[in-house]
Amino acid sequence: MRIVLPGDKIAENPVRMENAIVENGKTYATVIGMFDESKGAFIPLESVWYPRQGDFVVGIVENSKNNVHTVQLDSPFRGLILPPPRPRFGGRGRDDRFGGRPQREEREEILHVGDVVSSFVKDVKREADQIILILERPRRLFGGRLVEVRPSKVPRIIGKSSTMLKQLEDGTKCTILVGLNGIVWIKGENVPLAQKAITKIQEEAHVSGLTERISELLAGGNGGR
Amino acid sequence: MIMGGGKDKPELIVNGKRTDGREFGELRPIKIQAGILKNAEGSAYLEWGNNKVLAAVYGPKEAQPKHIADPNRAIIKCRYQMAPFSSLEEHSRSGPNRRAIEISKVTKEVFENVILLDNFPGSEIDIFVEVLQSDGGTRAAGITAAAVAVASSGIPMRDIPYAVSAGKAGDEILLDLNKIEDNYSDADMPVAIAPRNSDILLLQMDGALTKEQVQRAADLVIKAGETITKLQRDALEARYK
Repeated sequence: MRIVLPGDKIAENPVRMENAIVENGKTYATVIGMFDESKGAFIPLESVWYPRQGDFVVGIVENSKNNVHTVQLDSPFRGLILPPPRPRFGGRGRDDRFGGRPQREEREEILHVGDVVSSFVKDVKREADQIILILERPRRLFGGRLVEVRPSKVPRIIGKSSTMLKQLEDGTKCTILVGLNGIVWIKGENVPLAQKAITKIQEEAHVSGLTERISELLAGGNGGR
Repeated sequence: MIMGGGKDKPELIVNGKRTDGREFGELRPIKIQAGILKNAEGSAYLEWGNNKVLAAVYGPKEAQPKHIADPNRAIIKCRYQMAPFSSLEEHSRSGPNRRAIEISKVTKEVFENVILLDNFPGSEIDIFVEVLQSDGGTRAAGITAAAVAVASSGIPMRDIPYAVSAGKAGDEILLDLNKIEDNYSDADMPVAIAPRNSDILLLQMDGALTKEQVQRAADLVIKAGETITKLQRDALEARYK
């Protein structure tokens, strides 16, 4: 493992890799990160969130018009929550008249401007002059606290098969939702402790033995520092 | 104090040394610190001789106002500003002056060539360069600091550029002019370079140099680049040690 900086060569041959570019048949890093020569893996230490299909995100409803909600995701791209598709007339009797599709008034009650929602990216669309993220399965989040984190640290907050997240949730008795866009929603008993732990993970993401230090912090110790 | 030319021109070279005791091709001491502002996506503080510069990077975020957005790539907004207390002379207390607008523009153009703008259509990246104390060569110092700030932010870039100035006093080519040399030298040439391929990103010249002198100045700049690049890299790596 070595630290590479933007412009450093990471391969002599052209390799398609995230956070890297190919120039004159060679591959160069574009962000600061750790490069593992043996595996050929490049882990960014700082990066920007690139939306992908299926990404879990947390955002704030910014605008609501004609049953379409715009969601602020702390990213250059905006999220859109569209109304559910209108069922075909007569299809299995799920017609408007039978409550198959929520009426406008009803839906507007579900999401308001300023509400916090969690959602999944269904599609990354290129509209005439901008990139828009179509979101699906929105869920309104009541109460709680939002914390901004660096998108490059999100994998560390979640941990391998969400071990870190489980540890955080158990240690603080909180529900924690980590959006890949870098917004974390926390609600539960010991929110300040969860926040403290998340800040610590962010600051020490690149230092090994983090799990132990976090468990110490959650147990009431000072986490080694 | 009247600057530039005139009869009272001071001696810039005394006994083969410069006014501050440096050799002709010697840089001033440089100190760089990365990631010092918590609210910025990326930031850097740089001390270059008596220059003190703070750089901060925000974004990519939605371009505002909407009509300036480019549907194909991100746009860069850059603001270079000298603090009112940064030098002996007056520095605008309200808004940027002609000089600040020019330096903002050339700094922006340096970064347009290294940041991968195509990755963020319709968005904007803000770069702020604040000069807290100045002693000549602040545009070079600003670009060098801003490069570290962008690299520490995680915004993808092709290379980490650096900038330094070269100039001429008498028959000698000098590297990294300070304020006195800048004001009274025969020529002053700030250069910004992307070190990987030695691509020139900025080349300005005040005064006159012959073709051969420009070549000598460029050689000095590229040689100094090795030192500056190393300091930039050390500052970035120090955050993860």
